[in-house]
Amino acid sequence: MAAEQVLRVPAQLSCMDEVLAFVSAILDAHGCTPQARTQLRMAMEELYVNIANYAYPAGDGWAEIRGVVEDGVAIFTLIDGGMPFDPLAKPDPDVLLSGEERGIGGLGIYMVKSMVDAVEYVYRDGCNRLTLRKKL
Amino acid sequence: MLLTKEKNGNELTVHLSGELNTLTAPELSALLDSALKDVQRLTLDFAACDYVSSAGLRVLLATFKQMKAAKGTMCLSHVGENFMDVLQNTGLDAVFEIQ
Repeated sequence: MAAEQVLRVPAQLSCMDEVLAFVSAILDAHGCTPQARTQLRMAMEELYVNIANYAYPAGDGWAEIRGVVEDGVAIFTLIDGGMPFDPLAKPDPDVLLSGEERGIGGLGIYMVKSMVDAVEYVYRDGCNRLTLRKKL
Repeated sequence: MLLTKEKNGNELTVHLSGELNTLTAPELSALLDSALKDVQRLTLDFAACDYVSSAGLRVLLATFKQMKAAKGTMCLSHVGENFMDVLQNTGLDAVFEIQ
């Protein structure tokens, strides 16, 4: 069984490239298709940026990213110790609206849901935990 | 991200190279803010950019609205497979003109 890899960073936008490089390295070691790689990187970008921007309104914090590929399924977990927040609880945007009727935001979490097979949120031991699964 | 401008009368083409993500979307936004005056036709060329996250979509939607308000048009060209997936998933393939 593959060993889970762990990266812990300050929850800051400036660490986004490091987080995405960590994600890519795990996927590249398993011969992932370019499409699945891009989709997982994008999903992780959306979720990590949420943590960096909103998890710690009072100041500095951390984020931990855990990743593994098991039986051809990539599993990534993002953990933070910020305020409890379930990004999946928000209703999906109406993607059938015209350009004029649309707001310009709110698509990030919706994109995450459409790009992976499963995404799950739990708040446990004072931490937010989001887990993504995608078959490679 | 590398952005290259090409101006021809009131037509502007911007070639994007790299990933349009949370960190680079402000670069595109800043370039367009300063370059859109008097532009009637904006083309964004994605031949060398096939990664567009929601931060990039926000800039595209804001720019689309701005062009529309100025009675101009915006189109996306050379859209790759991954970017097209994103556009289809978000319904934006029906909003933007795609060449």
